[in-house]
Amino acid sequence: MKNVKLSPANIVILAAGAVMLIASFLGFYKLDIPVEHLGGGVTVGGSTSYNAWSSGQFLIATLPAFIGMAMAGQIALVTFGGVSPPEKPLGLTWDQIHLVLGFQAALMMLAFLIRSKPTNSFGIGFWLMLLSGIALFVGAVMRTSEAGRKPRAV
Amino acid sequence: MDDNKPPTPAELTILIAGAVMLVASFLSFAGNTSAWGRYLFPIATLLPLYGIVMALQVGLTKFANISLPDRIVGFTWEQVHLVLGLLAGLMAVAWLITDTGNKQIGQWLEVLGGIALAVGAVMMQRERHTGAIG
Repeated sequence: MKNVKLSPANIVILAAGAVMLIASFLGFYKLDIPVEHLGGGVTVGGSTSYNAWSSGQFLIATLPAFIGMAMAGQIALVTFGGVSPPEKPLGLTWDQIHLVLGFQAALMMLAFLIRSKPTNSFGIGFWLMLLSGIALFVGAVMRTSEAGRKPRAV
Repeated sequence: MDDNKPPTPAELTILIAGAVMLVASFLSFAGNTSAWGRYLFPIATLLPLYGIVMALQVGLTKFANISLPDRIVGFTWEQVHLVLGLLAGLMAVAWLITDTGNKQIGQWLEVLGGIALAVGAVMMQRERHTGAIG
């Protein structure tokens, strides 16, 4: 592998994308119901959790993970895979694409945070996805704010 | 944009989709809850909000002759329509696939509206010869 040097912005996006993917398999919501022994060996209650891939969450809660994967994947492919992507897909620079995708990921995770929830509460997977979504947006902003930028893939 | 001409097919598509999505956002999305209701706001409200922003921009410049800045955060308005339209289409597909129980009329209209926004945004690129598509 060539001696590649990643900018801090791209490191942030790569790390956030990886964390986002892993976090999507951890508990997004957790449901805790106090355990009660009703007698006769009957017990009710307990705890369970749902990740972003669970029924009822997939695909709307998984979308930020896909966005993170797309952003990190683009940087990884160009940096480590030597792939040469089109310079301006859909007339947008890659910085603009990262900005839009990062914004969308952060916005969706914040929307999940604001959403009033029923008896369940957020799990560790949600919190990691929220942080990753914000990090994706921050990384994208860092990319665009790097001085003297010209449209480029990485 | 030439403000004196009647709306183009792309602009009409966006205007109608945005209006339908605004109305649909107050109809039942899942269960008896609208996109503004408890447990769904604001995650289900993002989709109609994108439609409203796109339709408002077209409506304001076309009918109210309001001059908006040429660029928003470095994006031309055609680019804004393209990214919002494609993201709306993406969220529409996501809601379509998500198991929300019994999908209600509001959700179906939001999904159709989101796809229409994506189509309208792509059509706009061709109409205005942005070179972004085709």
